[in-house]
Amino acid sequence: MEALFYIFSVIAIVSALMVILVKNPLTSALYIILCFFALAGFYILLNMQFLAAMQIMVYAGAIAVIIVLVIMLLNLAKIKGAIKDFHQIVISIIAIGLLALEVILYLNAAGEKKPTGIYTNAVINKIGNTQIIGEFLFTKYVFPFEVASILLLVAVIGAYIFAKK
Amino acid sequence: MNVNDYLIVATIIFCIGALGVLIRKNLITIFLSLELMFNAANLGFVAVSEYLNLISGDIFVIFIMVVAAAEAAILLGIAIAFYREKGTINIDDANELKF
Repeated sequence: MEALFYIFSVIAIVSALMVILVKNPLTSALYIILCFFALAGFYILLNMQFLAAMQIMVYAGAIAVIIVLVIMLLNLAKIKGAIKDFHQIVISIIAIGLLALEVILYLNAAGEKKPTGIYTNAVINKIGNTQIIGEFLFTKYVFPFEVASILLLVAVIGAYIFAKK
Repeated sequence: MNVNDYLIVATIIFCIGALGVLIRKNLITIFLSLELMFNAANLGFVAVSEYLNLISGDIFVIFIMVVAAAEAAILLGIAIAFYREKGTINIDDANELKF
């Protein structure tokens, strides 16, 4: 398990770096698919197989395909000057490096917290991963679920209005 | 594995995404960096939820996926409209509000 964790970490971090470093947006889109697959591997290690399948179907399947389709429609492969000037890059790297350092320091300083829920891995595996998520979605979280469907409807209408001539 | 290891990986991916938003000019690449940040947040939710033996974090990941899909549709619609107006998707050309 440890070896798998390190393999997935290296793949995820390197492919995330390549997403922001390569020039061609199409190559970026392919690298982000690789990153999504590595994150799906993390979800399987964390005993959430349903979320891993959703990650691959929704992100690597749907969203990445939409991005590649738009890149094809707009003929964006030969855009020039894809990166900002030197001064701005240095300031950005320092700011983001400080952010990462602060979060990691906080994680190291944070105290232990006792697990509060009852859904250990054994319980989840006994009931079934998909079934337990479905039960939560349709009982405790049914109102956010309905709001999410309205949000998707609004997004469809908005995308149509933006993209139509 | 410890929950901290997952959170450190999520932090690194989030920071790479934020860096991409700051240093790139291409609208599509900025959108991909936003997706990286969403995914880092998802990984944090799942790791903490597994550590505390809860399900709520996993449910939230599903809602975040819904928001990300809606955002993808809207932002790519904006990209198409912007390209039609300007002939490019370099965000430095979005300067109508400059005075």
